[in-house]
Amino acid sequence: MTLPTMIVIAPDVMTRKVGDETVILHLGDGSYYGLDVIGTRIWTLLAEGRPPVDVCEAIVAEYEVTRSRAEQDLEALLNELLARGLVKSAA
Amino acid sequence: MIPPEYTTHGEREQQPIARPPFNEWHSPNGCLWAQFYRDAAGYLLRFPRLADFEVSADGKHVQGWAASGVQPGTMQHLYLNQAMPLALSRQGKLVLHASAVEVDRAAIAFVGASGQGKSTLAASFATNGARFLTDDGLYLEASTSELVAYPSHPSLRLWQDSELAVLGQHAATSAPVQYTNKERFLAGPRIAFCDEPRPLRRVYFLGAGTAQCVAIRRIRPAAALLELVRNSFLLDIGEQEMLASHFAAISDLAERLTNYQLDYPRRYDDLHVVRDTIIRHARMLDSAA
Repeated sequence: MTLPTMIVIAPDVMTRKVGDETVILHLGDGSYYGLDVIGTRIWTLLAEGRPPVDVCEAIVAEYEVTRSRAEQDLEALLNELLARGLVKSAA
Repeated sequence: MIPPEYTTHGEREQQPIARPPFNEWHSPNGCLWAQFYRDAAGYLLRFPRLADFEVSADGKHVQGWAASGVQPGTMQHLYLNQAMPLALSRQGKLVLHASAVEVDRAAIAFVGASGQGKSTLAASFATNGARFLTDDGLYLEASTSELVAYPSHPSLRLWQDSELAVLGQHAATSAPVQYTNKERFLAGPRIAFCDEPRPLRRVYFLGAGTAQCVAIRRIRPAAALLELVRNSFLLDIGEQEMLASHFAAISDLAERLTNYQLDYPRRYDDLHVVRDTIIRHARMLDSAA
């Protein structure tokens, strides 16, 4: 499992937290993407400039999840966000 | 609401356009329904073999040309249901694919894609003691204190089976629309129309009709936001400033309302149960507020 060293939020996205979830708008192509509660927490940490390794630590500490599962889920989410152009790898 | 200034020019042949459209819509069966082009004055909306509409960049002026053989009733319908909501979106206005009815002097909206029963529900209310504001293209304005739903054209479009079940025989129809088999019925003594704006109290997102009985469940704001995005008019998604303000307006709407999914078996005989359940639900929430 390899998490990217650093991820940054793409400049052409707009987010809105609604309730405890988040909807992301990609201004470049007009597409929308929804994040659940944990996805929202991950997004918040990434937006604060935390590297994915730290984000994973935070998720393990805050939620009842094993490290391997947290890494697996975080990697899948980051790959999805990268593929949609919502974040960029800064490594 | 100040509608765009609309001018219709009669027939004009649809000349081929060399540049590609920046957006296209397709009907549920995959047929090309509309093409969107930018031009010097604003936008050209092309409905193949039906009509061209030119919309000014600020959305305040619309001109329409019918394709050969297209009747004025069809043009009017295309304008009211497609071109005008899209033009309003250029003015930063919020227009949803929703019908709306008046209950207790407030508006209840039913949001959903074509074919999900918006018009049938509106007709059912409008023929049983309530009034309808629109059967599609719900225009909303937000103030700091409330959301206001505006009435649209005083007519309803129904498939023939809905027509017979909800309206019965001999309802007054308007000119037929050439691109659909739906019939358009004018408001009147039998179909009550609310011609005044009403505060929007509730939004119900229509389900697919898989429920065994009338089912209303609350949906999360993020899911509501995505549904509202899918069911709102926006002419130019490529213009980032407009896209951002549209997103902000839709997000505000999702947050200000308590949103529900409404599903029910699509049986005409049970429409009275659906109506009663919706009214009870809306009143129960009001009394709890």
